[in-house]
Amino acid sequence: MATIDSERTGEESGFAGSAGIIWALVDALRIVNGARERTGRELDVVLACGFTPLHLATFLNATLQATTSRPVRITAGGYNDLLGTLRKIVGERENTAATAVVVEWQDLDLRLGVRHLGGWGPAVLADVLRNAEAATQRLATALEALAETRLVALCLPTLPLPPIPQTAGWQTSGFELELAHLVSAFGARMSRVNGLRVLHEGRLARLSPMSERFDLKSELLTGFPYSRRHAAAVGHLLGALMQERAPKKGLITDLDDTLWNGLLGEIGSGAVSWDLSHHSHEHGVYQQFVGALAEAGVLIGVVSKNDGLLVEKTLQRSDLLLRPDLIYPVEAGWGPKSAGVARVLEAWNVAPDSVVFVDDSPLELAEVKAAFPDIVCQRFPKGDPKALWTLLEYLRDAFGKPMILDDDKIRVASLRANAARKSDLVAADSDEFLSTIEARVTVDFKNDPKDTRALELVNKTNQFNINGHRYLESDWRNYLAHPNSLLLRVSYKDKFGPLGTIAVLTGRRVGTTLRIDTWVMSCRAFSRRVEHQCIRQLFSRFDFESLTIDFCQTERNGPVAEFLNSIGAKPENAGTVVYREEFERRCPPMFHDVRELAHG
Amino acid sequence: MDDVRSALVRCFEAVFPDLDVERINEATPRTVAAWDSIAHTTLLTVVEEQFAVEVPIDQVEHLVSFDAFVQWLSLQRNSNHRSEAR
Repeated sequence: MATIDSERTGEESGFAGSAGIIWALVDALRIVNGARERTGRELDVVLACGFTPLHLATFLNATLQATTSRPVRITAGGYNDLLGTLRKIVGERENTAATAVVVEWQDLDLRLGVRHLGGWGPAVLADVLRNAEAATQRLATALEALAETRLVALCLPTLPLPPIPQTAGWQTSGFELELAHLVSAFGARMSRVNGLRVLHEGRLARLSPMSERFDLKSELLTGFPYSRRHAAAVGHLLGALMQERAPKKGLITDLDDTLWNGLLGEIGSGAVSWDLSHHSHEHGVYQQFVGALAEAGVLIGVVSKNDGLLVEKTLQRSDLLLRPDLIYPVEAGWGPKSAGVARVLEAWNVAPDSVVFVDDSPLELAEVKAAFPDIVCQRFPKGDPKALWTLLEYLRDAFGKPMILDDDKIRVASLRANAARKSDLVAADSDEFLSTIEARVTVDFKNDPKDTRALELVNKTNQFNINGHRYLESDWRNYLAHPNSLLLRVSYKDKFGPLGTIAVLTGRRVGTTLRIDTWVMSCRAFSRRVEHQCIRQLFSRFDFESLTIDFCQTERNGPVAEFLNSIGAKPENAGTVVYREEFERRCPPMFHDVRELAHG
Repeated sequence: MDDVRSALVRCFEAVFPDLDVERINEATPRTVAAWDSIAHTTLLTVVEEQFAVEVPIDQVEHLVSFDAFVQWLSLQRNSNHRSEAR
């Protein structure tokens, strides 16, 4: 279908209101014509406005037709008599499904339009203000009565005021501000009415710039004051307002480089940040937003590749902008994120299609998406404030409700109370996912003592670090200079992009075994079986039947112990032995394209 | 001319979905009951949109048949071609 404009607000629009598509009139007519054969109960909608509805009715009709399988019938009210139309509907016994009410300036006083030449002089304007105030009161009363029996979508005046020559065009007159204040107060009152939804001027302005809204020719010829584009935008958003869509229920968020800046496992609880002084304020804005969602009853869960105790400690920081009691559950561990997401869904007892997952890593997003195709996955755009704004707007659309009810606010407490039963979900098998990501592992055995990039990774990695040893550069060089020492650097890339050097391992040949003194791996590479590939490469290159790993438990290297256990090697501080045969028996399938870097 | 006619037929089909092509070619407010003032305004807007033209106010009351639209649109096209040639 041809469109004249479109914009995207997220990975998935989810509903028409967020997609912001402006149809051409011919396309809207085709949609309406195509729905003429529909049968069944009609969706009766009244379009109440004081002007000839013309294309506005067509666009509203098309929007509604596109989002329902029922036949839609639009009935228009009387010309120049908005209040009369509203009162007539209130008095009707037979309820229509919904009423779209479009107020324009001339509905507040005819002299604010151009078809009635009642004067724009100072004395007249004072009377216009008085009239307009009385008109908003009458409209408010009628709309409140109308909303008691049916859904009302209300559009406040959208057109520019006529160029009344009180001040120059770049100076706002008191009259204009008084009118704006009056309409604003009217709108605020209406927004508090249950069953009445007010169209968002800001969203409308994106689809229909103020300067392109008014069509004087059309107004004079037909009494329809909207440009085609403006009619399309208003019709589209009125249709979105009327949709009974289901907002998303839960947001699952990553922590590192998402809810806060920095890798918790690397820099510790006190050093992750979300403030201006650390240039990490974007994370604070996100936190504040998520906090507001939580207080509005949206379920907030965490899935993070992290140490659980560290996470727990950090979530208790007093400067966190998200109440920790509103986060449930927190899934911190080292397995695939999809497994954590599965446990969150179980705890919430909601379907994947009601959930949005936010993470800074495209790879993690893809892994979760592969396991749960119905989850909306959104990337946290670290370092891109503009994209962050777009993300927040998308999330507002996805979670927004017409009204927040008391039940919404107690949902998390209720879930916690029911959480005594433990989830028995097993970790999702990610073979299918891993086999599709075109992973390439490049191994480099060049022993170059001058290469400080490997040392840098060793000295900053805590989580997958077999013993937490740190090296001075001189010690590092000396170690590698020994003829029996080896250095393995591993790089990784897949279809989502390169991760660069993600693992470094050093060792020595000692008798009939290979002793691993240093082994670190970036947490970015977790759950990709790169650690398994490292072991396999060592066994493949060296004809030893076992490796001895200089393991030493630290506060943060739980992932190493988990891995060693998984391959049948008991993590012991005295030296952990990995046997070739046992490793091969337990090693899960790997899907890496392995290449060794050649050195001339 | 043919492409003007075929594009115009699509405009008429959108506004008067009950008309077949033969009746569209002969369409006037007298031969098409659905051609009221609202349909006329809708038709003008669709034509403006599809042909990227603006119908002047003084032409509105003259464009009251399929042929009238064809002639006016052809004139617009020729006028544009002459302007481009200069």
